Amino acid sequence: MQNENFFSQVKQGLLDTCYICVKEMRGLVTDEGVLIFCVLVPLFYPLLYSWIYNNEVVRDVPVAVVDLSHSEASREFIRHYDAGSDVKVAYMCNSLDDAKELIGKQQVHGALYFPEDFERRLGRGEQATVGLYCDMSLMLHYKAIYQTAMAVAGEMNSRIQLSQSNSFTNRDDETTTKPLDFDEVPIFNVTDGYGNAIIPGVLMLILQQTLLLGIGLAAGTARENNRYQDLVPISKHYNGIFRIVLGKSWCYFMVYMVMAAYISLVVPRMFHYISLVTPWTILGLMVPYLLSCIFFGMTLSCMVRYRENVMLLVVFTSVPFLFMTGVSWPQSNIPSFWQGVACLIPSTFGVRGFLRISSMGATLQDISVEYHALWIQTFVYFLTTCMVYRYQIAATRKRAFDHMQAVRDKIELAKQKKLSSQAK
Amino acid sequence: MKENNLYTYRPKSMTLHEVLSRIYHISLREVGIMRQNPIYGFCTVIFPIVVIIFFTTLMAGGQPTEMPIGIVDQDNTTTTRAMVRQLDAFQSSKVAGYYPNVNAAREAIQRNEIFAFLYIPKGTTSGLMTSTQPKVSFYYSNVTLVAGNMLFKDLKTICTLGSAAVGKTKLQAIGKTDDEVRTFLQPIAVDTHLIQNPWVSYNIYLTTSMAPGVLMVFIFLLTPYSIGTELKFKRSRQLMKMAGNNIYIAIAGKILPMTLLFLTMMYGFEFYIFHTLDFPHPGGVIPLLLMGLLSVLACQGFGIFAFGLMPSLRMSISISALWSVLSFSVAGATYPLSAMDPEIQSLAQLFPLRHYFMLYQMCEFNGYPLSYAWFNIMFLLMIAVLPIFTLRNIKRAMLVYVYIP
Repeated sequence: MQNENFFSQVKQGLLDTCYICVKEMRGLVTDEGVLIFCVLVPLFYPLLYSWIYNNEVVRDVPVAVVDLSHSEASREFIRHYDAGSDVKVAYMCNSLDDAKELIGKQQVHGALYFPEDFERRLGRGEQATVGLYCDMSLMLHYKAIYQTAMAVAGEMNSRIQLSQSNSFTNRDDETTTKPLDFDEVPIFNVTDGYGNAIIPGVLMLILQQTLLLGIGLAAGTARENNRYQDLVPISKHYNGIFRIVLGKSWCYFMVYMVMAAYISLVVPRMFHYISLVTPWTILGLMVPYLLSCIFFGMTLSCMVRYRENVMLLVVFTSVPFLFMTGVSWPQSNIPSFWQGVACLIPSTFGVRGFLRISSMGATLQDISVEYHALWIQTFVYFLTTCMVYRYQIAATRKRAFDHMQAVRDKIELAKQKKLSSQAK
Repeated sequence: MKENNLYTYRPKSMTLHEVLSRIYHISLREVGIMRQNPIYGFCTVIFPIVVIIFFTTLMAGGQPTEMPIGIVDQDNTTTTRAMVRQLDAFQSSKVAGYYPNVNAAREAIQRNEIFAFLYIPKGTTSGLMTSTQPKVSFYYSNVTLVAGNMLFKDLKTICTLGSAAVGKTKLQAIGKTDDEVRTFLQPIAVDTHLIQNPWVSYNIYLTTSMAPGVLMVFIFLLTPYSIGTELKFKRSRQLMKMAGNNIYIAIAGKILPMTLLFLTMMYGFEFYIFHTLDFPHPGGVIPLLLMGLLSVLACQGFGIFAFGLMPSLRMSISISALWSVLSFSVAGATYPLSAMDPEIQSLAQLFPLRHYFMLYQMCEFNGYPLSYAWFNIMFLLMIAVLPIFTLRNIKRAMLVYVYIP
């Protein structure tokens, strides 16, 4: 008897969970706002962002040249500089003032300056200098202009050294100019591309932010459609915290597993970003990442009074959240306070984990810190979700009870009035 | 005046005094609304301040320093150890681990322990002694672009210095003076001038465009929010009545308090970074004031425009949200706009943050006259007056539209 009762309860619970899940799913499709943020944005925003960053590197940054030396050496330098893939010599100017004017008009982003005695000093065996002026408003421009100048100077220096040394063979030349040889090997992000560095972070962040928005909007709608502005309606199906929490989260989990597969597997391949994911690793990361995002979103959704407020609360966080992951400002240099704040947010670990899986081919063992952190977040946010829903249910019951009590009181009052009037 | 002919109703021309007094009263009403709904306080004051503090403290150091780097030293002689010590002493690098081989170091990168490593194979020192040109390698991961780039610079310097040290010893042995040695090793020296930001400070570089960007997100969102909530809470007819059925007055009165509030925030932010933190600002005060004013107006203009385009709170605020988040990418402050596809280059002109960034870097950061940025000023003004195309729509919505959640 006891047993049967237990099983029928479990069965009822499962049925209720499924009912809530289906209801949430229907809300997701019929509510325009939720549909936009849970379906359209995850589908199209990744494409848009990938398109923006798809060129990866900055080529042919225009530079002005002020050549007062007019010599063979300066012209050689300019030729080699122009031949660099990252820069191009766009203007020849007569003075630095002319070059400054061009920088102001955004025609060039830097200037090379050869003083009048450039070649003379070289010939005399003195150190010659070439002036390099960089507009610092864009780091990638500065990097292109600066690194090319350093490379060209280094190359020319070697050649001048050779002409001055008394070597006999080619091998002698090599050991004279470079006694210690070295190889520069970029690993993982081999293109040195901006897109490769930033897109994985953006993709993961899109998953989290759209989930937060979608769940918040759905909760807001549910609250506004409810007669008493309650999040949890009074119904025999909404008769337990776990049913509600599991039912709702299951709906988002199903939708977002598809979205996550699309974002983490399809999009990087479409735009030829580096993608070294392996099936079990990505699954191992995505399950806790999505779950922690969903429960995080459900916890937050209880604090939203009007549905539109959730957008005001979530949208602006995208940029700070992205910075906290360490995609642009290295993780090792984030102040400890913000490291602490970052620990509360699923995207921090989701982005770090995904970057290393996708761009570096890391395994789950390699990202064990992130993996465990995500499961801990999932667990903690699941508990908080249950707690806030428990509070919501209690509030709903209380309000319903109060309402019923009020109605009862009214009836009682009316009855007494009637009685007293009859007595008269 | 009946409700159903409100839309066609044309009020008698108002005197200037009446117009101003109506705007004033609507503004007062708006202030009352803002005080009642805590979301306004959070989005106009508290969150922006948090974000400004976030960016300025996150990158307070200016440049990332002491980034972890690995060493695979299979030679392990005094020479190689000296090289490693020298690398450790560099500002950006910190030797965080020694690994037995390249594979172990590569795995350390995958575990996020280091960003780069230097590989010194066995026989490097003896190779230097016998001048057989030994070869070292350094591996750097550009997955975190800033870290990769800075460590690349350090590692390349240390390897070049390794060569230079050998050359220097040789030259000194045959009696060259220091001057001669320097000239021989580096006949051409590059004299680099990093205009306005000689520290290569990322705080100066990024905070100046990211923090106003977030402020603009709030303007983008709050403008349609404040207009849309009129419909949502069925106050729109009351508003129109206060405005004498003139939509210009209604909107002007509604956005005026927010304009003032956001202007205060914008100027406060600018005062903080350019005065308190003393970021370079050769352009002076006038471009700053203009930048702040134009960007606040342009964002509000876009917000009103978006609401007029789709006079429903939900849709307009969604459009504003999606649009405002894109600004950070297409502003071209991190990845230059000129390197993006031409379609995006033209699309980017519709984002106020793009013009804010151009105006800032031309007229404030580099100190060129405002006339150089006429194009951006013009575009900001154009975005600010965009609402005139859709105000009629807003009026209709205010009078006949019914909010559906």
